[in-house]
Amino acid sequence: MTTTNDTDRGIDPRSPRFGAAITTVLLAATIVLTLIPETWVAGIVLLAVIVVLFAVGGIAGIRRHPYGALFRRVVRPRLAPPAELEAPEPPTFAQQVGLFVTAVALLLALLGVPYAAPIGAAVALVAAFLNAVFDVCIGCLLYVWLVRAGVFRPRRGVA
Amino acid sequence: MTVGTAIGVVVGILILATIVGVVLRHRTGRARSAGGTTRTSRLRADDLASASGYGAAATLVQFSTPTCARCPATRRLLDAVAGQHEGVRRIEIDLAEHPELARRFDVMQTPTVLLLDADRAIRTRFGGPPRPPELTAALDAVLTAGSTVATRSTGTPGTTGTQESR
Repeated sequence: MTTTNDTDRGIDPRSPRFGAAITTVLLAATIVLTLIPETWVAGIVLLAVIVVLFAVGGIAGIRRHPYGALFRRVVRPRLAPPAELEAPEPPTFAQQVGLFVTAVALLLALLGVPYAAPIGAAVALVAAFLNAVFDVCIGCLLYVWLVRAGVFRPRRGVA
Repeated sequence: MTVGTAIGVVVGILILATIVGVVLRHRTGRARSAGGTTRTSRLRADDLASASGYGAAATLVQFSTPTCARCPATRRLLDAVAGQHEGVRRIEIDLAEHPELARRFDVMQTPTVLLLDADRAIRTRFGGPPRPPELTAALDAVLTAGSTVATRSTGTPGTTGTQESR
């Protein structure tokens, strides 16, 4: 798992939801573009951009995500201060899940698997949409299910 | 595929996601009776902490994970509730350290909160951050039944049955 040096500083919980809203729109556009043969290439390019954005959030951490910077500069000044701050680990993990799903979809699409791009984008779209609109974290549920299935080995000494 | 069909596919996916979201939001944090109406049939959870970790009257067990966005807020809620009631304590368990407990207590999401009575038997469970009114009501039911048992330890079981059956 990623470790961040400054875990004591929380993030505005509205920032990941703002980012998820942008991701929702981009993924919806990806599905439309990759379903139409004439615009398939444009859709694949857009999916690759989404993969890169997930990689930034999932590997460098949610705090370094460009949407977070956009939120701080454009959205947050117009809002009241957040009621409380959240830990950066959950949205960072969600970015890693998004990275995995979209990267696999992109790879399969480039290998010629039919409908890999729109199906992968649809899976990520559902998760991003639920996050943006309902504040439901599918990645967080997934983590619990992976723990249950014994995918993660027990971690000791976690703060 | 035409543009219209492609947009229709996206709209269909979003309608499905909306249904999932409404169902999840409707269900999250509600009090669910853990079943078992008699003392012996209730599932016990008496090995999660040392004896001093449990409350004398009731215990709130919170299952958390490191990637759980709502767990810190739930921790604060449970601490506040525990602080308002004599003999109520909170235990927090990181499932990343104890994955076997996720299977044993059938935890499908975090936070999941179990309300234990004085016997450390599971009375109520909450999937997701507990809704404060439902948490208070469930805790009051356990505390009321517990104090009734304590003061009327020789009474017939029927006298407390109406309160416990909720």
